[in-house]
Amino acid sequence: MASTAADSTAQAAPTAPPSLILPPSQFARLQPHAYLLAHLSPPASSQQPSLRANGRSPSQFRITSANTGSLTHTNGSAVVRLGDTTAVCGIKAEILHTEDIPSWSVSHSSSSLASNKRRKLTSPAENLGADREDGSEETDDDDDSYIEDFSLLVPNLSLSTGCAPGFIPGAPPSALAQSLSHQILSLLRSTRIVRSKDLQIWYQRPNLGREELEVHNEDEQMDVDVEQDRSGGATPEPREIKAFWVLYIDIMIISLAGNPFDAAWLSVLAALRDTKLPRAWWDVDNEIVVCSDLVSEARKLSLRGLPVASSFGVFEADAAAGWRAVLIPDAEEERKIADSERKGIRRRWILADPDGYEEGLSLERVCLVVDRDQGGSGEVVIVKLEKNGGFAVDRKELKQLVEISAQRWEDINQILGQC
Amino acid sequence: MTSSLPSLAIPGQRLGSVTTFTAGPGTHVHHSHVYASIAGPVFVDPAQPKSQAKSTISISRTARVKTTPSATAASKSKPKYNTLPGVDSVVLARVTRVQKRQATVSILVVLDESASSKALNPLQSASDNDNIESILSSAANPENHSSSDELRFQALIRKEDVRAVEKDRVVMDEMFRVGDIVRGTVISLGDQSFYYLTTARNDLGVVMARSEAGNMMFPVSWKEMRDPVTGAAEQRKVARPF
Amino acid sequence: MTDRRRINGPPGGTRPPIFASSLESTSDIVAERPQRQRQPNELRKIFLKTGLIPSASGSSYLEFEPSTSLSAARSKPKSVIPPSSSLKLACTVHGPKPLPRSATFSPNLVLTTHVKYAPFAGRRRKGHVRDASERDLGVHLETALRGAIVAERWPKSGLDITITILEAEDDRWWGDAPDSHDAAWGMMNVLAGCITAASAAISDARIDCLDLVAGGVAAVVADETAGRETTSQLMLDTDPADHRSILSACVVAYMPARDEITELWLKGDNSKSSVGTDNRGLGHEALIDGAVDAARGAHSVLAEAVRESAQRFAGLPSGDFT
Repeated sequence: MASTAADSTAQAAPTAPPSLILPPSQFARLQPHAYLLAHLSPPASSQQPSLRANGRSPSQFRITSANTGSLTHTNGSAVVRLGDTTAVCGIKAEILHTEDIPSWSVSHSSSSLASNKRRKLTSPAENLGADREDGSEETDDDDDSYIEDFSLLVPNLSLSTGCAPGFIPGAPPSALAQSLSHQILSLLRSTRIVRSKDLQIWYQRPNLGREELEVHNEDEQMDVDVEQDRSGGATPEPREIKAFWVLYIDIMIISLAGNPFDAAWLSVLAALRDTKLPRAWWDVDNEIVVCSDLVSEARKLSLRGLPVASSFGVFEADAAAGWRAVLIPDAEEERKIADSERKGIRRRWILADPDGYEEGLSLERVCLVVDRDQGGSGEVVIVKLEKNGGFAVDRKELKQLVEISAQRWEDINQILGQC
Repeated sequence: MTSSLPSLAIPGQRLGSVTTFTAGPGTHVHHSHVYASIAGPVFVDPAQPKSQAKSTISISRTARVKTTPSATAASKSKPKYNTLPGVDSVVLARVTRVQKRQATVSILVVLDESASSKALNPLQSASDNDNIESILSSAANPENHSSSDELRFQALIRKEDVRAVEKDRVVMDEMFRVGDIVRGTVISLGDQSFYYLTTARNDLGVVMARSEAGNMMFPVSWKEMRDPVTGAAEQRKVARPF
Repeated sequence: MTDRRRINGPPGGTRPPIFASSLESTSDIVAERPQRQRQPNELRKIFLKTGLIPSASGSSYLEFEPSTSLSAARSKPKSVIPPSSSLKLACTVHGPKPLPRSATFSPNLVLTTHVKYAPFAGRRRKGHVRDASERDLGVHLETALRGAIVAERWPKSGLDITITILEAEDDRWWGDAPDSHDAAWGMMNVLAGCITAASAAISDARIDCLDLVAGGVAAVVADETAGRETTSQLMLDTDPADHRSILSACVVAYMPARDEITELWLKGDNSKSSVGTDNRGLGHEALIDGAVDAARGAHSVLAEAVRESAQRFAGLPSGDFT
């Protein structure tokens, strides 16, 4: 049987009992911590590199692939595979009429002036942010608060797909699914990846007195507004928002083998890049929004940036850390760890893109979302940094992780570019 | 005789008549023919030449890859875990609760059907009922670590089944502690929620345990294990090391 | 109303987009109505693969070949409205695993089936909570499989079968108004796909079965053929988008080795078609036979996929064991 492999594994693990010989699969199941440790710290005599149980190096991600546009009934869709974790994201766009928004008539249409003023007040700050992100692109005076105020982006992640044992199908979303959905929502909002402008459906009221407005050009939209303001606001606003597109972003985790967030976010990103919205206008006679079914008239979303998520887990050699309360390592202990590191004995490993087995063994998690300025050529920008569960990752380690994440950004950029 | 048999069968495939074959594991009988009930390689266990018994036809549940367990072989073949504990199965289980009259364990691994039938039935010998790849991908439920026990079969070791001698002087706390890995055999399928295990044999009992200090202990006698770091001894019903 | 465990859309609700072309007179879109390009007894190709989800004991992925109109619309997109859709689903099997503590003792394997559409699977957005049709599919699937599994080999344990439908079949062509002949025809194709995929996944989990059980659909359709009056015709593996009206349809779960049907579901009014056209070939018998023929076709794909996975599992090319 597999006794040879078991021998080496058992001997490599300092904590394994000397008497028992188990095939690796049983050892992995009975003593997961010792099993992973034995892989990461092979005996110096064996000349083997420090590899994880899955054969990857600590900073190596799993093979990632993305495939877009395969689902017929979606405005945009993507299938992302991160090793054995598979996420399917489908985006369906529906229409929210402003008349269905209870607060709309109060805050917007009746006082277009006020809303314009508000826009002007907020614009300098927004422009700063926009300039930094978009660089040479047109200045961005979008009112992104619409997206948040009217919940125009609705992401939901489902794990009740039989993706792993333990998630009861048909049950309400588990705590993990809820937390992942909220992480995606907050990242969609904080990165401002979707422009409110892309989601607005306007109505150009025929204004007989002002012939220059008869040509309605999207690009002149602001000019028109400004002009309107200058003229004193005596005439009614010729253009108004009649509806918004609402994007229902649903992510089905079909197979869960660790690191669902990276896979889910990448699938959202790929699906948004694939999303096309039909041309829509306000039909006065029927008093509804009507769309054109012509593909030639449909428009893709113009996304802001490409925020890429990279998750890490920290594995510590001290087995007791896993089942005892986490203690804050004091200076003495930190010094010891640093010492042994210098001697070539590592006591902790930061594992990129942890699989399900490693996730169960690492308490401390780091999630980094990075982007690059100017469409990829500029500096690396940290969009989000989340770290919890331990004290091992310090400033020095974080710097390394940012570098790894920046490299990961390049890889993902290439993968998305091909699909 | 065997040449007419397919090397690989799929469920519902007719393998032969019951007049020439006995239906073994992975097959069933319908209208006096042996049919495959799972997909896999077909094996024929020839009958003893003198005996009246017919050859047993069976389908392997496990991949019989004889190559060395290298990484490439492991990734190619994917044996799946679906061996249920049966009476006489040897199991490895983790102690989850110790009470006065019994210990509760959750079964981690089902080993060979039984040591005696091993020689007769080569199909069960490869009892490696889980492969690394699927363990690595599934592992613990990320949701909640304790609930992974819900996904495992539960078993009880009653006080009287702990050891063969001095049964009435067994103190459960001195036999098992929560977290110990125990080797036991199934004596009964039990009730709706628990199997019943026994450790009343020299080779059965605790095989892995941590001391109070958290270190792996080694066995020193049939009822004692020792912490290699602190040197402290703790009482257990220890399985004889092989 | 609001679901606190999910992220909700605008409280006032949203409306699916309305296309101008569907408001106008339908004269110019009639030409775009998809037409069945297959022979009446010709089945769509099925893509079926097992073992893609390693954390499950068994799994499968099934996809129907896109219709001619759909693949044309894919390669040369003109309209954003898809002419038809093709089934895509993933199936996982978890178990045998312990029954929940509350369950009573069972000497047999307890089968649980769940079928859920992804919210984006259909033309209309589906809710997150299972609706009646999804529960219905689950029950039909369970009866189809229960007859095939050798349940007594797995005492005290449960088997969970979960199907996620990523893309469903339409119930009718989108341009047609719902009419009296209307029923959830697409659901029958979905059920047939679920049965075939679940059978593959169960086999992948190495659960004992009497046979591989395959699903098949047949229907009596009434199409207008180039100006002439409508004629009823029996067709196998019907794509509802291809037909003006489906009079009746039948889905079976079928085990070829035993010539047994484990699940039969007949829908629609089929007395009319057989009386009106004096055609005995359109009765219940013919419909069921047609569905069985379709299931035989699906079974050949299923057997191939299972055989392929068994070879992979054994780590051997075929012919090594003799």
